[in-house]
Amino acid sequence: MRVDGVSVQCGFELMEKLECRLGVHNLSVYYDDFKALENINLLIPCKRITAFIGPSGCGKSTLLRCFNRMNDLVPGSYVEGSIFFDGTDIFSDNYDVTELRRKVGMVFQKPNPFPKTVYENVAYGPKIAGIKKKAVLDEIVERSLKRAALWDEVKDKLHSSALRLSGGQQQRLCIARALAVEPEIILLDEPCSALDPIATQRIEDLLVELAEKYTIIIVTHNMQQAARISHFTAFMMIEEHGDPGRIIEFGETSYIFTNPDNEKTERYITGRFG
Amino acid sequence: MNPKRADRIATVVFWSLSMTTLAALLVIIVRILSKGLLKALNPFFVFGKPEALKAGGGVLPMVVSTLYITVLTVVIAFPIALATAIYLAEYTRRESRLTRVIRLCIDTLASLPSIVFGLFGMSLFVIFLGWGYSLVAGAATLAVLSLPVIARSAEESIRSVPDTYREASYSLGASKWTTIRQVVLPSAFPGVITGTILAIGRIIGESAAVIYTAGLFVRKIPLNPLRTGAPLSAYIWYAQAEARIPDFRSVVDGGAALLLIIVLLVNFVARKLASYYREKKIAG
Repeated sequence: MRVDGVSVQCGFELMEKLECRLGVHNLSVYYDDFKALENINLLIPCKRITAFIGPSGCGKSTLLRCFNRMNDLVPGSYVEGSIFFDGTDIFSDNYDVTELRRKVGMVFQKPNPFPKTVYENVAYGPKIAGIKKKAVLDEIVERSLKRAALWDEVKDKLHSSALRLSGGQQQRLCIARALAVEPEIILLDEPCSALDPIATQRIEDLLVELAEKYTIIIVTHNMQQAARISHFTAFMMIEEHGDPGRIIEFGETSYIFTNPDNEKTERYITGRFG
Repeated sequence: MNPKRADRIATVVFWSLSMTTLAALLVIIVRILSKGLLKALNPFFVFGKPEALKAGGGVLPMVVSTLYITVLTVVIAFPIALATAIYLAEYTRRESRLTRVIRLCIDTLASLPSIVFGLFGMSLFVIFLGWGYSLVAGAATLAVLSLPVIARSAEESIRSVPDTYREASYSLGASKWTTIRQVVLPSAFPGVITGTILAIGRIIGESAAVIYTAGLFVRKIPLNPLRTGAPLSAYIWYAQAEARIPDFRSVVDGGAALLLIIVLLVNFVARKLASYYREKKIAG
């Protein structure tokens, strides 16, 4: 099947069974004069893990940062095209970005807990959303930490600084912090690139578990990681330095990794370039 | 010359030059303290009333004036400086023309000689606004003088807060102001406080800016900020240059030692506070 110029290799039956509430339509992203992404079309299936893979500089992170409009923070950036979230274009004029970011959580490449206590880190999102009652916050903190598989390790040090945790714990804390605002979608930008293999394994297990309740989009450099945990994969590439990034192929991960349509995809996943 | 030898020579040169700096400082401090402590500094001097014509006067009203004027200055300057710093660091692009103009103004202000601030303060606060020689006129002048120092150090502290904190906050649905208030300022706080306290050290020692604005001599402890005060630094100048007290040498020595001790204390507290907050940030 083809969706607006991108081949989707998962067959009609599967795609139709899946609910998609997030769709990218003819999206191009610019930083001043530089075109970073061109004509991206994509449907993100609900409650599945979608991975963006591709060589460095192909615009994976830029695309990911469109979903919660984090690119707004980059001076000189602008977009053409749309991303529809439940039928509304998130780039439309009156769209509430704050509300969008509550529904679309994000975990960054390097663990970035605030220099506050473990508790304050997780409670930050709910607090700024206006929740003040301590009992409610306590409950949210506990639930979020449990979902992020961190509760047992930190329940005795909730009120010590988050900066004292190990890198892997800090990254799970960041996941807990994102979960605390009850998002529907979680964006992860190479969340394991700063972690050792054991910590990586724990995060991967966690993501697979979280995919039962959340829609997850992950950017990864690690193709094995994409193959291990994602249900869908988008392969992105730039032709030459200075060209915009494009989606070369999108489909079910098992297809992309065993039987890709596109020769470039095949060359990339077999490690012949990039 | 072989590299090893060059390295050794460089080490010796840097060591001896830094020792020269240290020695110059030590000579000044030891001289001021020894003269002051041996001859002048006793409880009667520190807690006594000053005399206009006789020997044996104290400096308590001057010490109080200094502390009073310092607090007033910080109350005036800190909010304005902090707001300026937040604006420069968070609301403008570093390279924009407006930012460059503001920064140029601030840097120029920071490098002006303090007597210029003194004359400016006299013409604006003392004469034009009619506040007379008063603590508040002195504090306003000192506020203008310390504003650029506090603003620039606060701006640097705010800029040094990693962007990853801001991103994390925005990604949780925080507005810009919430992010600044809840994440950026708490992280920048130790640096902001250190910069402010170092500026306070300069305020306490400043004399040229207060001579024409706050006053030189008072007999009683000033309580009303609209009345004349006499900061210690201004009084030292006055005692040396103008006063008709026979023991002016000892008043000057004692005053200098007392001023030095106060400034050293302030710097000591600044260091302690900064390291306390740094520890706390990590230890929670």
